[in-house]
Amino acid sequence: MSCEEIRKQVDARLHGELSEAETQRFDDHLVGCAECRGLLERRTALRETLKREMGSFEAPADLRKLLVTAARDAQVEVRAIRPIRPSAAWWIGVAAALAIVAIGSWQLGARRSDGALMSEVVLESHVRSLLGQHLTDVTSTDQHTVKPWFNGKLDFSPPVSDFVGQGYPLLGGRLEYLGGKQVAALVYERRKHLINVFLWPTAAGNSAGRASGSMNGYHLLHWTRPDFTYWIVSDLGEAELEEFSGLLQQTEARR
Amino acid sequence: MVTRSLSPSPSTPRLSLSPTTRFETLVLPHLDAAYSLARYLMRGADDARDATQEAMLKALKHVDQCRGEGARPWVLAIVRNTCRSMLGRRGGGDNDISFDETVHRSDDDSNHPEIELIRAADREAVHRALDQLPLAYREVVVLRELQGLSYKEIAEVAGVPVGTVMSRLARGRERLEQLLGAPGTKGGAR
Repeated sequence: MSCEEIRKQVDARLHGELSEAETQRFDDHLVGCAECRGLLERRTALRETLKREMGSFEAPADLRKLLVTAARDAQVEVRAIRPIRPSAAWWIGVAAALAIVAIGSWQLGARRSDGALMSEVVLESHVRSLLGQHLTDVTSTDQHTVKPWFNGKLDFSPPVSDFVGQGYPLLGGRLEYLGGKQVAALVYERRKHLINVFLWPTAAGNSAGRASGSMNGYHLLHWTRPDFTYWIVSDLGEAELEEFSGLLQQTEARR
Repeated sequence: MVTRSLSPSPSTPRLSLSPTTRFETLVLPHLDAAYSLARYLMRGADDARDATQEAMLKALKHVDQCRGEGARPWVLAIVRNTCRSMLGRRGGGDNDISFDETVHRSDDDSNHPEIELIRAADREAVHRALDQLPLAYREVVVLRELQGLSYKEIAEVAGVPVGTVMSRLARGRERLEQLLGAPGTKGGAR
């Protein structure tokens, strides 16, 4: 290896970017070349000086604030551009917008391990179920078909009721994986509007109260009972969704 | 009105975190790094702020393309490109490194940079020396020494092969060594 090659590789050697074989050849040359040892020494000194004196700069506080605001406002723009025929991309935008509003207005404290709010997770799951073909795993209006279907698929048996008499027919159910756990999703319909009901066993000592929120035509309701935790999402009117949740809670009370 | 007739396109991305959440968790943690890179590339606080703002808003717009594990180089690449186009618009000619592809290295052994000067260089001298580096060298030096990127990551950020990163780093650092360690001057040449 020539001194010229050493000159080309000296920084890569210091940066640990040479292969084992290259490193060996490099070091072998240095043993017999005081000139190149001097070069390595100077570059090592340079590296230490740069490390010590370059320093990072802290971004201006007003810039940080501006960016945080811009990130939140970006969602408003997404909502504002509403095409006549909603595309998949639009729904994704809506989901994003909703998720943010959810973060802002639902301080329910139900957090996933990665910090996202459960309301965000639930909304995403709802929109996903509308977008794809995966609305139901078991499609049946019969609660006696849907409830047993969950057996063996979940480690709990979700209560399933049909409210066809009240105008909320059951469409079916599916398995969902939300916030790190398997949950049951029940799908109901009200005049072509879909309702997703997510439920899972309430964790011990967890008794958050009832909460509701709405945005851009979507409404969310949430309550926790000693046995099950419920989340309901739909684009149904708020009054009807309240009525529906009343039906659910009545059947709960009877259990 | 929600209908189920929406045909799912195969390219429909998995709905995961919202853009705002992605931006706040993936991009914003690198704001200081972004601003620091801009400071070194633009060589002024006001220009750096402008460039960082423009770059970060771009990052927000395209945050869906940001992958968690590569967020830092991804952000820095946007900053780097924004700085370059701002400097290009200005037409300072700073982008041109051709004049410097052959380093003005002295072959005279008696004129070696002095290691003690290199060791003793203070912040001001270092910044002055960096400011004198051509942009193409300055950016690889900053990405390596300050941001700690690997050669491979620098190659992605700068859009050049790894071999070019290696030679630019070597030339850039050689130049710094000469600027900081020039005998007979205190704290580097100006």
